[in-house]
Amino acid sequence: MRMIYKVSVERCIACGKCELACAFAHGSEGRPAKTRINIHRRGPELGTPVVCFQCDDAACVAVCPTEALVRNPETGAIEMVRDRCILCRMCVAACPFGNMLWDETYHCVQKCDLCGGDPRCVPFCPTGAIAWVPVEEAAIPPEPLDREALAYEVGAGG
Amino acid sequence: MPTLQINGRRVTVAEDATILDAARKAGVEIPTLCQFDGLEPWGGCRLCVVDMSLASWDDDWFKVVTSCNHPVEEGMTVLTNTERIIETRRVVLDLLLARCPETPLIQGLAREHGIDQTSYAPNPEPDDCILCGLCTRVCDHIGVSAISSVNRGWGREIAPPFHKAPPDCIGCLACAEVCPTDCIPYSTSNTRREIWGKEFEMLRDPKTGEAVITKAQAQHFAERSGVPTTYFETSDASKRRQMAKTFERLGQLK
Repeated sequence: MRMIYKVSVERCIACGKCELACAFAHGSEGRPAKTRINIHRRGPELGTPVVCFQCDDAACVAVCPTEALVRNPETGAIEMVRDRCILCRMCVAACPFGNMLWDETYHCVQKCDLCGGDPRCVPFCPTGAIAWVPVEEAAIPPEPLDREALAYEVGAGG
Repeated sequence: MPTLQINGRRVTVAEDATILDAARKAGVEIPTLCQFDGLEPWGGCRLCVVDMSLASWDDDWFKVVTSCNHPVEEGMTVLTNTERIIETRRVVLDLLLARCPETPLIQGLAREHGIDQTSYAPNPEPDDCILCGLCTRVCDHIGVSAISSVNRGWGREIAPPFHKAPPDCIGCLACAEVCPTDCIPYSTSNTRREIWGKEFEMLRDPKTGEAVITKAQAQHFAERSGVPTTYFETSDASKRRQMAKTFERLGQLK
């Protein structure tokens, strides 16, 4: 079954768990890596998760001088072959959505590869704003998030 | 898939693998300096030498080869810790330490091989460059070739043509990034960047003023990939911000 990474902006509460999950999943020795999913925080508990779109005709792939970016036909993700990367950061500059990230800690480019078909950020999302679903379900509009009920549930609503 | 023996360990690797690839797969450590996964092997530093014998050769006949660029063959025997290999590595490191007596990377490697002080006359003008050629190879690979090695012997160094600001340099800093001893000086700020004696104007985000790459870089990328230069104008953080705003607008349209 073909799976797809689905983002429902309406449901994001900007808790940042996906960012943490990503940073630690791709770091080593307890040092977080640069997170490949970034929440644009636009108000209290309002966020827009921004993550790689795995574009069909991707700018990062077009500029890479060493063909280090290749699509994985199984997951549909554009993956980085680390053995070929020469750290020129052309892809970072070229990505029109800012989803190629330069990691100062590890001195490498971080790029969402959908964790090889099991995105590590998804199980951490408390509201289902990000999900890993079969392609057929991708177009189903997300249910609106009852923010007041959620606040009550976690004890913040008093 | 050829099978070979490295220090007595059997390992099977791909047809186009090198001895170094096979050694890494077998868990045998071979020191390297000029090797970088993204680039063609070069065999410049001579630190990765190993003893190698083919199945068709006499049993006691071994040849010293650089493992980083020597292809594997069926039935090959490789030894990485024979006396003459250890001695060869020591000489290489001794010479490197004479050239770069103050470079931590070389000092560390030399100490691992039991050399605290070089037995040659140390370089009176200590230099951090080990002439591994990584910077020039990376530059070639990007398709710029702004720098190269000049002169020979003792006077050999990495420099732009005629020691003047290189006209082809795009200021991408890939050479400085890949340098194992961090010996390529540069300065970069939000407005200007300087490397190899050439000054660059930065391409700044029209809204936030943040700068990521130089104007020359954007032009070079655009030419070789067909991606329009406008792609490079904004910083990645501000691109994400724009993207997030687009999503919000989509929500309101529904």
